[in-house]
Amino acid sequence: MRLRHLLLAAAVSTASLLSAAPLKIAYSDWPGWTALAIAEQKGWFKEAGVDVELLWFEYGPSMEAFTAGKVDAVTMTNGDALVTGAGGGKNIAVIVTDYSNGNDMIVAKPGIKSLKDFKGKKVGIEIGFVEHLLLLNGLKKVGLTESDVELVPTPTNQTPQVLASGQVDAIGAWQPNSGEALKAVPGATAIYTSADEPGLIYDVIAVTPQSLAQHRAEWVKVAKVWDKVVAYLADPKTKEDGIKIMAARAGVDPKEYAAFMPGTKFHTLAEGSKVLSAKTTGFDSVLGSSKIANDFNVKNEVYKESQDAASYIDASVSADALKK
Amino acid sequence: MPHSRWFAVRQEISPSRRRLLGVAAFLLPLLLWSIVSYVPFIWHPNIKVADAGDVSWLRVDTQLNRHEFAELVTQAEAAGTRPPAGIRANPIYLPAPHEVGRALYTAFTTKPVLRGDLWLHESLAMSIKTIFWGFVISSAIGVPLGILCGSFVSASRLTEPFVDFVRYMPAPAFGALMVAVFGIHLEPKIAIIVIGTFFQQVLVVANTVRKVDGGLLEAAQTLGAKRRQLVLRVILPASLPDLYNDLRILLGWAWTYLIVAEVIGVSSGITFFINQQAKYRNFDNVYAAILIIGFIGLATDQALGWIGNRLFTWKNPRPSRFRTFFTRLFAGRDVLLFPDKPSST
Repeated sequence: MRLRHLLLAAAVSTASLLSAAPLKIAYSDWPGWTALAIAEQKGWFKEAGVDVELLWFEYGPSMEAFTAGKVDAVTMTNGDALVTGAGGGKNIAVIVTDYSNGNDMIVAKPGIKSLKDFKGKKVGIEIGFVEHLLLLNGLKKVGLTESDVELVPTPTNQTPQVLASGQVDAIGAWQPNSGEALKAVPGATAIYTSADEPGLIYDVIAVTPQSLAQHRAEWVKVAKVWDKVVAYLADPKTKEDGIKIMAARAGVDPKEYAAFMPGTKFHTLAEGSKVLSAKTTGFDSVLGSSKIANDFNVKNEVYKESQDAASYIDASVSADALKK
Repeated sequence: MPHSRWFAVRQEISPSRRRLLGVAAFLLPLLLWSIVSYVPFIWHPNIKVADAGDVSWLRVDTQLNRHEFAELVTQAEAAGTRPPAGIRANPIYLPAPHEVGRALYTAFTTKPVLRGDLWLHESLAMSIKTIFWGFVISSAIGVPLGILCGSFVSASRLTEPFVDFVRYMPAPAFGALMVAVFGIHLEPKIAIIVIGTFFQQVLVVANTVRKVDGGLLEAAQTLGAKRRQLVLRVILPASLPDLYNDLRILLGWAWTYLIVAEVIGVSSGITFFINQQAKYRNFDNVYAAILIIGFIGLATDQALGWIGNRLFTWKNPRPSRFRTFFTRLFAGRDVLLFPDKPSST
């Protein structure tokens, strides 16, 4: 009797081992990615016939887990994808979730009207990451360089407190930190944002080369599900429900979260597929944007060896998802 | 009567007064906090805007420094526009006691919005599980090793130099490494707590064991005790009450690593709640969560203290049924935990 039970249990567990393991996607607190929670809550992955496990991380640890090979995919910016790849976490962007359309900001204390006033000012920023790139991009436009400002290394989640302390004149951060910095210092303004340079920061779902090779058909299904998420958020009838799910994932009030939506330009599958396959040199393609980020990273010694940006992009998954 | 004096050097005071002072130890800080929060003229360096007036960039409920606010009012009046109005307030990082109390209540009573998400008490259970396993694994190796080091100089020389070296390496630095080794769920978090606790534990335990009165060892040797007996029947029982207290302190140490451990890998436990709320500057929730950890720590420690008092009566004489139970449990075993156990013959 007992033996039979044991055999049965063994059979069941073997069967579950043989069935494909779920695709593990590590995601974190950025509106473009919390949106994935909508698909999970609505059961869309299952509906599409793909087994996906979403794992909620802090942004930094999510990339660490990816580099350690513990997840199949991670959500990150195209610039950080290069950094992760240079650090041993080879990855390929298959889906573009959005580009930052204002949620990444340089926030300056009252009295500073534009980047032109930045000469000799202190800026709290995470050196080598996207906000640093954003700042340099802005400075270049007004004819300044990095040596004209003093960079104060500051973890992004502490930027509101640092700006409020008055020890820096400006900070660079993304939402929700940038918005909290604006609240923490009344009269502070976002003097330069990612909306001033659309495409500077693309956000992508990047997968491991192994997973892409072994589970390509499933990733195509994931891409289709993403299109459904974007449609859900675009439809005025369902948008509110979508934001409610995203806000719950982040643990805040939906009204507060709704404020981040305009700063995120969600990409439908068609839009994402277009920027993934385009081969321009500017910010209107992931390739162009990544090449610019790569030059920045090498110049700032974020990593030593220049990365082949094209090898970080696979436009075919999104394209196939569009066809079917 | 000397007992009736509140202030007498190194003199015991009556139990009722001790209790009273214990309660006051908590009430005084709370009182201070209440005064700063509720009495408007004590501190309140900010103004919370109730009406933005004609100042375009001001929004209702934002806070700004009192002097800056006064300046805005003067400017508005000088320009002949409507001045802003507001009430004095404390900075956002100092919520009032009732706000924290409310946050504490709602944190436990708000049900998770997302399907499959955890209630706060479930997150807490996860944190406690992490701490529990981290501490048990660390102690299972650390305590015996520490006892060996405290008993034998050769073991000490072989172990302690390296342990002393690793002790200085901050446990959080092993985060990404532990993820690579153990994956992304509870295992790497437990590993961080083990790393944070274990090395200190070996040294603390070894030190305590070394403090056993040499006279006891000499007396036992005179009576013919062999090496094994010296360790098991003299050193161990003599140091056990202090070791127990060491472990209580080290358990607190394990808790301090929880906050670092829980951001490694998948966000989990109480830390997820704290970080998420801090990101949105809901500081009342942050205080509530920190208080919860404090309460759990205090309650565990008090419980362990209570058990300790009853276990080690040769240190703290007090008859107890609890102890009799344990004495019976161990009666006849080779390890002499309780020197006055009933003779097994």
